[in-house]
Amino acid sequence: MAGTGKSLLEARDLRVNYGAITALSGFSLSLMEGEIVSVIGANGAGKSTFMNALMGMVKLAGGTILLDGCPLSTRTWKAVQCGLALVPEGRRVFAPLTVEENLRIGAFTRREADIQEDLDWVFSLFPRLKERLGQYAGTLSGGEQQMLAIARALMARPRVLLLDEPSLGLAPIVIRDIFKELRRINEQGVSILLVEQNAKQALLLSHRAYVLQTGRLLKEGNSKDLLQDPDIRAAYLGQGAGRGAA
Amino acid sequence: MSFSLSTLIQQIINGLSLGSVYALIAVGYSLVYSILLFSNFAHGGFLVVGGYACYFLLTQWGYNTAVSMAGALAASGLVAVLTERLAYKPIRERTPITLYLLIASMGVNIVIENIFVVTVGGRIRALPQSTFPTGVFELGGGVTVSASDILSLVVAAVFLVLLQLFLTRTRWGLAIRAAACDLRTAGLMGVNVTFLIALVFFVAGLLAAVGGIFLSVRYSLYPQLGSITTKAFIAAVIGGLGSLPGAVLGSLILGLAEMLTAGFISSQMRDLVVYSLLVLILLVRPAGFFGRTAGEKI
Repeated sequence: MAGTGKSLLEARDLRVNYGAITALSGFSLSLMEGEIVSVIGANGAGKSTFMNALMGMVKLAGGTILLDGCPLSTRTWKAVQCGLALVPEGRRVFAPLTVEENLRIGAFTRREADIQEDLDWVFSLFPRLKERLGQYAGTLSGGEQQMLAIARALMARPRVLLLDEPSLGLAPIVIRDIFKELRRINEQGVSILLVEQNAKQALLLSHRAYVLQTGRLLKEGNSKDLLQDPDIRAAYLGQGAGRGAA
Repeated sequence: MSFSLSTLIQQIINGLSLGSVYALIAVGYSLVYSILLFSNFAHGGFLVVGGYACYFLLTQWGYNTAVSMAGALAASGLVAVLTERLAYKPIRERTPITLYLLIASMGVNIVIENIFVVTVGGRIRALPQSTFPTGVFELGGGVTVSASDILSLVVAAVFLVLLQLFLTRTRWGLAIRAAACDLRTAGLMGVNVTFLIALVFFVAGLLAAVGGIFLSVRYSLYPQLGSITTKAFIAAVIGGLGSLPGAVLGSLILGLAEMLTAGFISSQMRDLVVYSLLVLILLVRPAGFFGRTAGEKI
């Protein structure tokens, strides 16, 4: 599913400081309805800060965030109610809770009556979670935990699914599965915004991408073009990029 | 005192009754710890608020026992919420270091205690005789239990079951369990974390009030009654801080240990045994029975 031309999520000139350190210095991004957009960059470029800013988890020193043209609240729970759901870095499933409880807490903002339907939907995406329903989340494998973290976020029926480093700490074959699943989720109408250090996977999945470097925009464009861009290839994809398993 | 079966049974019942009161206090304590990761030493203050609220509702305003208890529970819950708002929230928002919260809670405890000393005086009071049943049951074989012991056991059990049902069967209960695991991520699920913390303090305060009332019945009511929270704290540590089943188990062990010591050795040895037990258990299991080991958190 490609963008429809209508801007769904828009970040304008976001600034975030941690004390004297500037983490984001005027970063802007827009996401069209139905689009997959990725933000790539090295460690410390400000990717997670950007995600946390969208979710109202860090204080903005400046800038605005609009969802469907309306400014987003700075309170995290309201951002979720408005339609953002974040799959946090490192998955952060609730280990001592069961898979089902993890999914139910994901649906915290939803009405009880809609939850069963949403459960069926995430089970259709991740059948393995259905088999593991009564199991403690802490006993799942890394890949399964990532699936659970994504499914948990989807239980909020978000308009935009945000993912912070979904490939982190996973085996290449698992990463491939997860990214395939993300494409399917997008095809079912969920707009996706992800930040990734794994630039190649992110660019292969997304329609458009932004390259973030020390808190500011380095480049933006169609992911296809960025994959071919010599600077990007050298800095983020390594010399051998373009070959090997996709 | 020589060994006798009737003494044993009687002291076990007494121990369970005392342990169940400790459990009410320890569970609230553990609940706050599980969410904010600090030992809330103002918990003893909440208990005293509950005790005095019940006392004055009964004696000054002449309400019946049920209304007075309900009022005391609400008062203590509100004081707990207020404490969090005024003393802890400003600190939480400025620093992630929980040591400051712990120190603030010690201050709050002293403040609450002294508010009572200044306003109503430090003298020891007793709840009116008519408040709770005072009869003694003969169970046969020389075993007697007081009605108030049975009542506190039953009431404590009811509240613990209600708490368990709240935590496992309701939406906010699930949110609290998720927050106990990872507060920040619980916020990402759309849970209003500020409200959740207030709710947890309200529940903790409410349970402390139940404990405070029954301690007032068992012993008496005075501004320093909250210091008994030390026992509940030990119980929570023995069970594993942050674990609610652990807090209940630790409390029952503690209550039994105290009462069996009183029954078979000497009443004066109670605290010695309790503290030795704490040291011993911590030597063997530093995280308590159900405690999370350091590596599991975060």
